[in-house]
Amino acid sequence: MATEHPVVLEVQEVTKRFGPVTALREVDLQIRAGEVVGLIGDNGAGKSTLVNIVCGALRPDEGRVFVDGEQRHFTDPSDARAAGIETVFQNLALIPTLNIWENIYLRREDCGPGPVAHALRRMNKRAMRRHVEEGFESLGVTLPPLRTKVAALSGGQRQQVAVTRAVLWGSHIVLMDEPAAALGVRQTELVLSLVTRLKAHGVGLLFISHNMQHVLRVSDRIAVLFLGRKVADFAVGEATKASELVALMTGAAAGDVSAAKALP
Amino acid sequence: MTARRTKGRLPLQAPQILPAGGARQVAGRLAAYQSGGLFVALILLSFFFSLQSGNFFTRSNLLVVLLQVSIVGLVAIPGSMLVLSGYVDLSVGSVSVLAVAVFGDMVKVDHQSIAVGIVAALAAGAGWGLMNGFLISYLDFSPIVVTLGGYAGARGAAEAITHDVTQFGFGNAFGELGNGLVLGIPVPGVIFLVLFLAGCYVWYAMPVGRHMTAIGADKAAARALGVGARRIPFVLYVMSGLASAAGGLMFCSELDGASLSIGIGLELQVLTAILLGGVAFSGGRGSLWGVLFGVFFVGVLNNGLVLMNVGPYFANLAVGIVLVFAASADAFYRRLEGMPVRVDEIKEQAELTGTPTPEPGG
Repeated sequence: MATEHPVVLEVQEVTKRFGPVTALREVDLQIRAGEVVGLIGDNGAGKSTLVNIVCGALRPDEGRVFVDGEQRHFTDPSDARAAGIETVFQNLALIPTLNIWENIYLRREDCGPGPVAHALRRMNKRAMRRHVEEGFESLGVTLPPLRTKVAALSGGQRQQVAVTRAVLWGSHIVLMDEPAAALGVRQTELVLSLVTRLKAHGVGLLFISHNMQHVLRVSDRIAVLFLGRKVADFAVGEATKASELVALMTGAAAGDVSAAKALP
Repeated sequence: MTARRTKGRLPLQAPQILPAGGARQVAGRLAAYQSGGLFVALILLSFFFSLQSGNFFTRSNLLVVLLQVSIVGLVAIPGSMLVLSGYVDLSVGSVSVLAVAVFGDMVKVDHQSIAVGIVAALAAGAGWGLMNGFLISYLDFSPIVVTLGGYAGARGAAEAITHDVTQFGFGNAFGELGNGLVLGIPVPGVIFLVLFLAGCYVWYAMPVGRHMTAIGADKAAARALGVGARRIPFVLYVMSGLASAAGGLMFCSELDGASLSIGIGLELQVLTAILLGGVAFSGGRGSLWGVLFGVFFVGVLNNGLVLMNVGPYFANLAVGIVLVFAASADAFYRRLEGMPVRVDEIKEQAELTGTPTPEPGG
C-alpha cells in the first residue's frame, strides 16, 4: 500500500561532519505519504543529527534534501516548517498557561470576521475554537475539553496536542524524536495510536525511538543507523524481531561493520 | 487499573476519577476567577467602609478615590503586561520624576511652550523605556538589575537637571490635566479608564495579549514558535516609560509644581496593585481586570482607613498583609492547576481500541 504513495521526504547521500567526527556518512532515506519509517540506532549513531538536518536545525556538509520531489536548502527550522515538516521534540513548545486551542492557534491567530476586525487585529475566538474542534474530530483525537490549560494535561496528551497542531497546520511530514521516552504505558499507547491515525491521513512520519517494541509496532519500514551509516533499511514483516534490530544497531549483524568501525 | 467492562451501560461509579476531576475543575474555576474574588473583596471592603463612615460612599469621595488611583493605574497598564511577559519595571517612579524635571526645565528655564514641554517630557520617558527595553530585551540584561539602575539613575538625572530647584506655576491650562473635569469625572480618571479599556483590548482581544502570556510562561517555547519574544517586551518597556512620564505630568499638574518628590514609591504601589490583581510575578498568567481591582483595592483601603482616622502605617500594613495573602493564593491555584486531568475514561478507551477513522481523501 505504502509504495503507491508519493515520496514526501527524500534524503540523498547526506554527510555531516563535526570537526574530525563524521556524524553521518552518505545516508539515504525515503518517506512516503502515509508511511511510518522507524529510525533506530545506538547513542551516537547519528539519529539526532539526521533529524536536525531534516528539520533545518543543521545544514548537511554534503547531500541533498527533497520535499515532495523538490530540492530544499533549509537555513533554519522555520524554513522546514514552511515546507510542511514538523518536528516533535521532547520539548513540545506548548505554553502551559494557555489552553488547548489557544496553543494550537498561538502565533497563527485568526483575526476577523470582516476587514475592520482584521485591521484592528481582533481575534475571532469562536471560529478558532470551532476549527480546532473540527480538526480533532476529523483526526479522531480525544482530549479533555479545549478550554483545559495545557498545564493540566498529561505528557501523552501534550504530545497529542503538539502533533495535532502540526498536522492541522498542514504539515505532512512529522518527525518524532523519542516521543514516548518519558511516558507511562497508557500515555505511550495514546501516542502510538495517534501515529497510526496520522498515517491513515496520509502523513509521512519518521519515528525515532530506543524502544524496539514501539518501533516494530508502528513502523512500515525501519532504517538502522550505525556509527553514522545506514546499515539496514527494510520493510517490517511479521517475522521482524526486536533481537535482529538490536543486533543491527550494535553492529553485531551488519554487512559493513568493519567500514563503519573504521570511521574516525 | 483493572479491566472494566463498560459495554452498553455506564459504570455506576468511577472511583479515583470523578473526585480528582471534580477537584481540578473547582480549582480551575477558582484560578480563573481569582480576579473575581478580589472584586468581591473590593465590594465587601467598600461596604465595610461605608458602614464605618458616612463620607465614604459619596460621589465626591469616590471621585477622590478615582483621582488617587489614576496615576498608579495608568502606569500599571503596561506594567502588568510586562509582568505577564515575565519582566518588571522598577524605574517607573524615577522616570516619572525625570519627565517632570525635563518638563519644568523646558518650560521655566528654556521658556518653551507647555506643549513643547509635554512632548519633551514624554520623549524623556519613552527614551528611558527604550533604553530599558534595548538592554533587557535585546541584550538579555536582567530586568530587575537594569530597572533598579533606572530607579536610582533616572531620579539622579532629574536632580541633576533641576539642581534640586522645584519649578512651579505652569498656568491654568496645564492645571486642567490634573484638576480638570470631563463630564464630572477628573481628567486623570478619564485618561486612566480610556487607556484601561484600550489595554483590555490588547490583553484579551488581540493576538499580542496571548503572546505576552506565552513569553511569560515559557520564553524558549514562545521564541521557537515565532512569537516576538524580544520585540514585545521592548515595546512594553517603551510604553511603560511613556506611561510613567504621563503619570508624572498629571501629578505635576495637580501640584502645579515640578516637585522632586513626585514618583517616590510609585513602583511599589504599581507592583502591589499588579500582584494583588493576580498577575503571577513569574509571568504567564493574570488578568487586566484583576489589576484594575487591585488598583482600586489599594486605593479604597487607603482612602477608607484615612476616613476612619487610622494612621497611614496601618494602611501600609494592611496592604502588605493582603498582598502576601494574594501571593499565597496564587501559589495554591498554581498547584491545583497543575493537577492532571483524567479524561473521560470511556472515551479514551474507545480511542485505544481504535474507533473507525476516516481514510484519507485520495
